[in-house]
Amino acid sequence: MCVTRAGKVVSASHGRARVEFFDGRALDDVDVSVVDAKKGAFVEVFGNLALGLLSPAEARRRKEAWIEVVKAAGAVRD
Amino acid sequence: MLFHAKHAFMPNSLGYCGPDEKGQIQRDLEKDRSDEKLVQTLQKFEAAYPFLRLIAKSAGRQVFDYSVPEAYWLGNRLLDLVPVSDFYSFSHHEIKGRDPKKVREVFRRLDGTAPPHHTFYVMSTYATTVVPDGPNVTNQSKGRIAEVVDNCRISWGTVRRVGKDQLQVEVSRVNVDDGGLSLARPVLKKVRYNPEIRPFGTVKCGDVVSIHWNYACDVLTARQARNIARYTDADIGLVNRLMKSGEGRNH
Repeated sequence: MCVTRAGKVVSASHGRARVEFFDGRALDDVDVSVVDAKKGAFVEVFGNLALGLLSPAEARRRKEAWIEVVKAAGAVRD
Repeated sequence: MLFHAKHAFMPNSLGYCGPDEKGQIQRDLEKDRSDEKLVQTLQKFEAAYPFLRLIAKSAGRQVFDYSVPEAYWLGNRLLDLVPVSDFYSFSHHEIKGRDPKKVREVFRRLDGTAPPHHTFYVMSTYATTVVPDGPNVTNQSKGRIAEVVDNCRISWGTVRRVGKDQLQVEVSRVNVDDGGLSLARPVLKKVRYNPEIRPFGTVKCGDVVSIHWNYACDVLTARQARNIARYTDADIGLVNRLMKSGEGRNH
């Protein structure tokens, strides 16, 4: 299933962008046209579509939350 | 477990979720093989696996018992066994990418009726994600949002033509407009499928298939087809209530 991921636009052109996520992964062809995101913006991505813009403070909070998720995923196994 | 893998495969292969082990799930599906390595891969899905654990715990089942991922992806009575308080707690502590304030609002406004169903998760994410008002939110943008919601949810369609690696299916898409979400009248659409994955070697016209990101995941039984329709309808009703009660995307 898709998760909503926060990341940073590292390049953008004609409504498409490369977004680097806080988990270290990246997507090359994110549609940022709905939120009109530019290079340097923090975005909330669902699938391959940026649905929201995040302030730097909110982006920091999401990054910290994501680190917790990754830690929890490593610790919690059946 | 293979039922779960079939439905998790396509968004993973597109890089939208789960671990970066793209080839393995497909190889296991083609060999009709479920082993410890596949278990480990499926445990790395950031959202799907915690949801399965929640449902399994409430139902007293093993995480990959067929009925557990079936409940999550399609819907079945196991969803009714998940206590609202457990789902509320889960939403705060295991899905940490989501804003706790929004989670609280979802539960408060829906009077604890939110189900741990994949389609509800997808649609409520849409409903509670901020999209700024402004000239950039055009009808074209709304169409793009609807397309992503539609691709990400599990849809279902009746096979009308079988090709080498594509099926023509009759399927209802999600509409997004000022009135909220709804299912449109069925249209014909092409989706990919893999004939090497069971039971697609014998798929035929009239079969109903589940679809995720334009990919046919499995052939559904009549009961499963009824369930996905019923639970999707309920999810849409809840999300529309959520949006109309003020916890929408424009806030």
